[in-house]
Amino acid sequence: MSQLSMNSTATRTILVCCGTGCQANGSMAVYQAFRRELAGGAGTEVQAYTKSTGCNGWCEKGPLVKILPDEITYCRVKAEDVPEIVASLRDGTVVERLLYRDPVTKRVYRSHRDTNFYKKQRKVALRNIGEIDPANIQDYLDRDGYNALRKALTMPPAQVIEEVLQSGLRGRGGGGFPTGLKWKACAAVERTPRYVICNGDEGDPGAFMDRSIMEGDPHSVLEGMIICAYAIGASAGFIYVRDEYDLAVHHLGRAIEDARKHGFLGKNILGSNLSFDIEIVRGGGAFVCGEETALIASIEGNPGEPRDKYIFPTEKGLWGQPTVINNVETWANVPVIISRGAREFASIGTSGSKGTKVFSLVGKVVNTGLVEVPMGTTLREIIYDIGEGIQKGRKFKAVQTGGPSGGCIPENLLDLEVDFDSLTAAGSMMGSGGLIVMDDRTCMVEVARYYVNFLAGESCGKCVPCREGISLLLETLTRICEGKGRLEDLDLLESLSATLQQAALCALGRTAPNPVLSTLKYFRDEYLAHIVEHRCPAGICKELTEFYIDPELCTGCGRCRRNCPADAVAGEKKQTHVIDPSRCIKCGECINNCNFQAVKVK
Amino acid sequence: MKIKIDGIEVDVISGETILEAARRAGIHIPTLCYHEAFGGQGICRMCIVEVKEGNRTRLVASCTYPVNGEIEVKTSTPEIERIRRNIVMLLYRRAPNSEFMKKLYEEYGRPGDITPSDPEESCIMCRLCVRACEKVGANAISAVLRGTEKRVSTPYDEPSPDCIGCCACAQVCPTGTIRVSTMPGKYEIWNKAFEMDRCESCSRPFVPQVILEHVRSKLGPDFTEEHLCPDCRKKKTGKIIADSHLSK
Repeated sequence: MSQLSMNSTATRTILVCCGTGCQANGSMAVYQAFRRELAGGAGTEVQAYTKSTGCNGWCEKGPLVKILPDEITYCRVKAEDVPEIVASLRDGTVVERLLYRDPVTKRVYRSHRDTNFYKKQRKVALRNIGEIDPANIQDYLDRDGYNALRKALTMPPAQVIEEVLQSGLRGRGGGGFPTGLKWKACAAVERTPRYVICNGDEGDPGAFMDRSIMEGDPHSVLEGMIICAYAIGASAGFIYVRDEYDLAVHHLGRAIEDARKHGFLGKNILGSNLSFDIEIVRGGGAFVCGEETALIASIEGNPGEPRDKYIFPTEKGLWGQPTVINNVETWANVPVIISRGAREFASIGTSGSKGTKVFSLVGKVVNTGLVEVPMGTTLREIIYDIGEGIQKGRKFKAVQTGGPSGGCIPENLLDLEVDFDSLTAAGSMMGSGGLIVMDDRTCMVEVARYYVNFLAGESCGKCVPCREGISLLLETLTRICEGKGRLEDLDLLESLSATLQQAALCALGRTAPNPVLSTLKYFRDEYLAHIVEHRCPAGICKELTEFYIDPELCTGCGRCRRNCPADAVAGEKKQTHVIDPSRCIKCGECINNCNFQAVKVK
Repeated sequence: MKIKIDGIEVDVISGETILEAARRAGIHIPTLCYHEAFGGQGICRMCIVEVKEGNRTRLVASCTYPVNGEIEVKTSTPEIERIRRNIVMLLYRRAPNSEFMKKLYEEYGRPGDITPSDPEESCIMCRLCVRACEKVGANAISAVLRGTEKRVSTPYDEPSPDCIGCCACAQVCPTGTIRVSTMPGKYEIWNKAFEMDRCESCSRPFVPQVILEHVRSKLGPDFTEEHLCPDCRKKKTGKIIADSHLSK
């Protein structure tokens, strides 16, 4: 423990991160331990109260505990550490062993704000998450909550729309359609009632942006929706959230109740003419219900199938009425635009994409978690500065953006400034903001097969190009991964992909070939290695893989032998080891565990 | 309002689909999931056409695209034909076991080097059966499951209490997938057996009891007509006419 220059008698706030990631690592036990400890023992001498917050984003280092106003951040805290932390508060010291230590520079960071992970971030949509107790409306009110709504109610509705239009805000769910235009189009339709919908059906593998916002700052979503209701004259709103998001459903429900009690929802909101209420609709977890017309069908009680969008939901949406549907993150941005003004919002980002974007940074990157950066930040900055590079010092191979509808971006495009248009031009897409980092132990053909397989189960199955096209894409990719591919298969993949892009009914089908086309474009040599040379360069496709140990590099440490589940590695200590191909099950444990890059793929 | 389809000026009513306008003008656009009784479904995508609106050109499904302004339509381009050939290839791969699909596959020049996944399958999932069932008011069948597993069935594949055995689904099916098996005095469809009621005059089984009840419930208690098979009804009507003439 080291001495601290601070007043040990000040009232402290202890923020325990209780996002889903930290909860999985036992943060609820930490939270309970703080409450127990502060009620007795050393804690009775400490003036402090404990709050459970939403996700801080640094899931890799969770459970996180932050102490205010001292600005101390503790990483990977266990319930056993709590008495020591409480004692340190009493004594005015810091528990140094729980602070973040940079593995390379060995520098110790007292506050998370100074770490590489947070320094380059700019929190707009995530402004309150990790700072407030999402189940307590007072916390939100203390941070300027619902003031944007108050301000909006003093403006003419058309001016509210104009402000959103001027901000340049584009839909964060993936489509990137200008939000203000959507509102304007809906307000222009004469028919009433009009509806407002929040799309919380986040379903991309590895994505948790929207979940974190709904869990950690539900009122910001409600406030955005209420402002829109005022702007377009809507009377009812719906939040469609997947039922697996238990905590999000719980916090949203609580937030709606509290908002009603405070007069932010219901009849004559804050004494105005606006009457508006919100209902939660729990989805069954179909990926396709993230497509807005499928989502609308699902709210109506019909199967979640999209329809042709020649008439937009702004004209004919829920029950045939004019409807604005926006994604969770889009809604969370709206109060900021109204309270700080369109100009300030538009000052962040690139010419075509304004504001920030939240990404869930996952895969083989050192700092996995949730990050929010200004539009136009390069992939390199996100992966290497914020993410601190690739795990175990391995080599970067590709980053998959945009979920199953996105594509894989190779190393030579890492300096791409990320926004809606640059990613689309690179053959991928923003999607809702998943970033899956892949290292050299990733087979790009297998990655394409994985996503197509996901879509084979998650397509709604209505239109022929999507249902049957994906089925044939999957058959072809599986054949290539099994070493039975033919060169003509590449033409077939391209021709099928074109048909899907041009003829499928909805955006899911039209973007479904992106994982295939982007890997074919940037990693064609891997496809050819599978088909022509009958080998998988990454050593993933079992039928095409053979591992061997390079005697020049092997130190005889025995890690591969000890980790091999099939007893296929033999060798004496400090002697070169050998793999018996007849016993090898190609699981890759040897190559993953070798510290000397001595295990190779033939 | 007038639009141009393949260079021909066609009159359209605002909101009408391109396909409806084209059909009226005698311009052929291929379809697999369209039936004039049900309207467009946008499922098969065979009816894809190129629409030019101002400077913007795009491909749309003509069965669901409503005409609301001046547009120029091309019903066939090399790109569109490529899409149609791929759709036929995909459907033949899925469901090769019907004369309908075999003929279509030949018509499109046997596109693609593919192996059908299931040689016994014949359903192309056009879902005309589902629409027919909806239209009849029974709603006994629907498209179930999702993704590549999607198929048409009754809820949980159980005999549906809502099925009235009208066989409109089988009637409208282009590939003959929906089987009606007939046995003496009864028949079976969607795993549900329907007993036939007998003609009050000749005792021949001629109408499913369920349909009779369905029709009677619609006609109300005033309907007291005896129920006769078509032959006996003809005979009876003939006799009435003959008697009325003879008595003159």
